[in-house]
Amino acid sequence: MPPREGIYGLLAEFDTPGELVRAARQARLDGWRRLDCYTPYPVEEAAEAIGFHRNKVPLVTLVGGLMGLVAMFLLETWISVWAFPLNIGGRPTYSWPAFIVPAFEWTILFAGLSAAFGMLALNGLPALYHPLFNAPNFRDGATTDKFFLCLEALDPKFDLAEAKKYLESFQPVSVVEVEY
Amino acid sequence: MNEMAHERHDAKTLPAELGAPALVDGWLRRALSIGAAFSVIAAGLGFLDGRGFDADHLLRAWLLGLVLTFGFAVGGLALLMLQYCTGGKWGLLLRRPLEAMSRTLPLVFAYWVVVALSLRKLYLWAAVGDVKAALQSGWINEVQAHAIAFKRPMLNPAAFTWVSLLCFAIWSFYTWRLNALGLKRDADSAASTPFWIKKMENISGPGMVVYALTMTAAVIYWVMSLDPTWYSSVYGLLFLVGQGYQVLALAIIVAVSLSKDEPFKTLLRQTEQHDLGKLTFAFVMLNIYLAFAQFLIIWSGNLPEEIPWYLDRILGRWGVIVTLDFIFYWLIPFTLLLSRDLKRNKKRLVRVCQWMIFAKAFDLFWLIEPNFKDAARNLHFSWGIMEYAAVPAAMMAFWVAYFCVQLKTRPLVQTNDPHVAEILEPEHVSA
Repeated sequence: MPPREGIYGLLAEFDTPGELVRAARQARLDGWRRLDCYTPYPVEEAAEAIGFHRNKVPLVTLVGGLMGLVAMFLLETWISVWAFPLNIGGRPTYSWPAFIVPAFEWTILFAGLSAAFGMLALNGLPALYHPLFNAPNFRDGATTDKFFLCLEALDPKFDLAEAKKYLESFQPVSVVEVEY
Repeated sequence: MNEMAHERHDAKTLPAELGAPALVDGWLRRALSIGAAFSVIAAGLGFLDGRGFDADHLLRAWLLGLVLTFGFAVGGLALLMLQYCTGGKWGLLLRRPLEAMSRTLPLVFAYWVVVALSLRKLYLWAAVGDVKAALQSGWINEVQAHAIAFKRPMLNPAAFTWVSLLCFAIWSFYTWRLNALGLKRDADSAASTPFWIKKMENISGPGMVVYALTMTAAVIYWVMSLDPTWYSSVYGLLFLVGQGYQVLALAIIVAVSLSKDEPFKTLLRQTEQHDLGKLTFAFVMLNIYLAFAQFLIIWSGNLPEEIPWYLDRILGRWGVIVTLDFIFYWLIPFTLLLSRDLKRNKKRLVRVCQWMIFAKAFDLFWLIEPNFKDAARNLHFSWGIMEYAAVPAAMMAFWVAYFCVQLKTRPLVQTNDPHVAEILEPEHVSA
């Protein structure tokens, strides 16, 4: 694959989440589909504004948790009933109340690990390179106090001059071109 | 600074009229008619046995109603103190409904008086005067005879009455103090806000410790002592968490139902609703954690002093009830509240909360009824047992009516609080 060249997109910088959400909502309404928001902390309304409603992390977490539950419960049952049966206070070898606590712990452990790794697998991290870091204002502000909206060049509506004018209509602090 | 100026454009304004909307009158009327209907049913059920009036089950069910409404009144007071200590916009939202719950204490006291006057009918330790004679006649067994004689200094009618009265006095003091200061705070200027935040915190912090102790004492006397032979050191905590469970469920129902009209229409944001849902979920989890911990420890120990309490509640078809209790009280709220969408959906969240209050009453039935000789290890139908549905429903309905009366007495939001400005802002500002 040849190296990608040219414009990645246009990046508008805002001072407040309110302005970003307003702009993102309007852009989505106006038919933009290849666009993304970048904020220093999670702004759920921004995600909703660009049509990003749900992801699969909760499902991955649930499945992981259930796997942990079943795995540990079966492991305990196998050990206590078949592999190494012990007489503990005259109780039956299959004493399920005693199995609950480790099974619960494994539910938490598997759910937690599934959430963390599922999130990484689904969001494409770790990424070694992202074109937006070519923009100095993004490097400085995206993780501190600035809010960004990026219209990507892949969008069929994208025309450099038009898109720039369009973004400026939201009165951002700045609009910069970002190269690949 | 420029940033602030920008955001204010989007902020909503606090409605001019902050009193309870007219729909609360509708709740009040409905609660009164439901209360009246269930009172008639409860009275009728007493006669259905065909052996004269059966006051036994009526009183047991009355005790359930007392514990349930007590949970809302005193649990409401506890959550009121908790939110003064933690802060947070959810606390501002619930403050006035929680204050109204705490002010229903007189009604709970009236309910308690009936129990205090019927000690001999409800509590074995009160009914048995001469332990030796009772043992010889076969009324009580050796274990019960020993426990009743040994615990006599604690389990006697005078101690029951005085400890309960002391608890009621302490809860009344905190209710009065926090409610009175709540109004005074609103009348004061905005400059005084930091003083009031500290002041409420300083009362509530120690208040929560006092609440935990007095509530534990009350439930030990009222519920745990129904079986004089048994004890559990986590009992108070179990009820404490149970009160958080039921109070949060009711508070969500109230807040969401109030949001059909002003001022809660403006005040209730999805963020805070979601937060309340998450907090409720935490209590659902903690609840089963403690309940199961108590069971696991007693099951592991398998001691003759402790295990009969569970056997009374598992054998003789009670196994069906305890399985349903596990499903109703934990599994259903737990699995449903896991969903983020559900917690953000007003209608569905309210349905789950209504279910939780029913489940709480169901759990209390499982806790209370097997204490009695005719029911232990022997779940069987009688018309009397239906009182467990009718009496608490009537008592709860009258409690709701009284709560509505209290809710109408003051504005629904405390205005002298910095959270008011925050809660009026769009959700993304403080997301």
